[in-house]
Amino acid sequence: MGPLSKLVNLYRLLSNVNNQTKHLPFTTIARNVSTTKPNYDLMEFFDDPKNWGSNEVKSGRSWQKDEMRLKSNEDLHKLWYILLKERNMLLTMEEEAKNETMLFPSPERLDKVEESMENLEAVVRERNKAYYELETGETGERPGRVETGPFGLKFYYKMREYKVPKHMNKKWQETHQFYKHDKDVEAFLLKYGEKKFLSKRRQYKRDFNHVIGLLKRFPNMDMEALKQQYPDVDIEKAKNNHKCRGHFVPK
Amino acid sequence: MSSRWYPIYQKGGPQLRVFLPNFWMKLVKPKHEQPPNIVQFACSMEMTKYDIKNYLEKIYNVSVVEVRTRIALGKTRRDPGLGYIVKDDDTKYAYVTLPKEEKFEFPTLFPKVSTDLEDYEKTIKQSKDGFKAYVDRNKNRPGMPGWFTI
Repeated sequence: MGPLSKLVNLYRLLSNVNNQTKHLPFTTIARNVSTTKPNYDLMEFFDDPKNWGSNEVKSGRSWQKDEMRLKSNEDLHKLWYILLKERNMLLTMEEEAKNETMLFPSPERLDKVEESMENLEAVVRERNKAYYELETGETGERPGRVETGPFGLKFYYKMREYKVPKHMNKKWQETHQFYKHDKDVEAFLLKYGEKKFLSKRRQYKRDFNHVIGLLKRFPNMDMEALKQQYPDVDIEKAKNNHKCRGHFVPK
Repeated sequence: MSSRWYPIYQKGGPQLRVFLPNFWMKLVKPKHEQPPNIVQFACSMEMTKYDIKNYLEKIYNVSVVEVRTRIALGKTRRDPGLGYIVKDDDTKYAYVTLPKEEKFEFPTLFPKVSTDLEDYEKTIKQSKDGFKAYVDRNKNRPGMPGWFTI
């Protein structure tokens, strides 16, 4: 096929496409497209001038996860930048208000934007996970494991990539002496466990005494609610305590 | 892999793409007077000069000639109550040079509170009206204290 015939074919194809679009009903082509021109400027770092110096700026709620699940990846990508710019704007306004010792109007806007950003990232993560599970059978999340630290305490270690493998990296092996269960660690763990145990016991004692006080002052209160609020406390035992009894001969 | 975890860069590896950057930048009023085409920003600590240039060019469509950065040490002070030492966070500042012909002036976001005679009279009138309303309210119960009302 010569270049000329190729061109002719291409022309036919394109003209065909054009003809088809002509016959389609209008509603299938129409999309809700925002026609406002984005204002690319340094002034995007500042709020709308009519909000300058005002005491309150009205704003809607944050983006929910369910709403964002309906959106395409492309739309979410655009939304991320809108939120990013909004956050930058709010941070700028907050900083300037702090400098001028003036009121930053409606600071909850920042929380709303941050919540939206968190939700967006959660949705992207969901999609990522679904994709990876479909393609590879794994979640694609960052792998991790529980490690024992130098003091014998367990922590979650998020794994990451290294240029040199561990078993080949002499210097890393020298500098990173890991957990060794020796005398000092044992002594530390004993004291640490004791401390935790004592604090737990004190907490129980505190709750128990508080329940006694409550029973003394309000003998006819809702026992179910009390049980719900203090599940660890033995309420029958607390009732029999001498501190709980009033100054009268029990029936 | 997940959206906030990037593979380590090896020589010859593909270029990393950041799809959801979470860097922040705020435009701050410079403490000392600057040339008209220099803008000061506070930004995320992790941002490099290249990040700042790309951020402004790609997201805000602002042409950047040069970026200089510095890290300001956070203030160290004593806690007024218990006396332990508190250190504020360090801040990264970026001085961004715009092209020679462009100018940027930091706007006055908080217009000065006017202390005109008109405002003074307005407040006087307000307090007078308030007192009159108070007197009217207590017309039928003389001798009753001002806080008492039903």
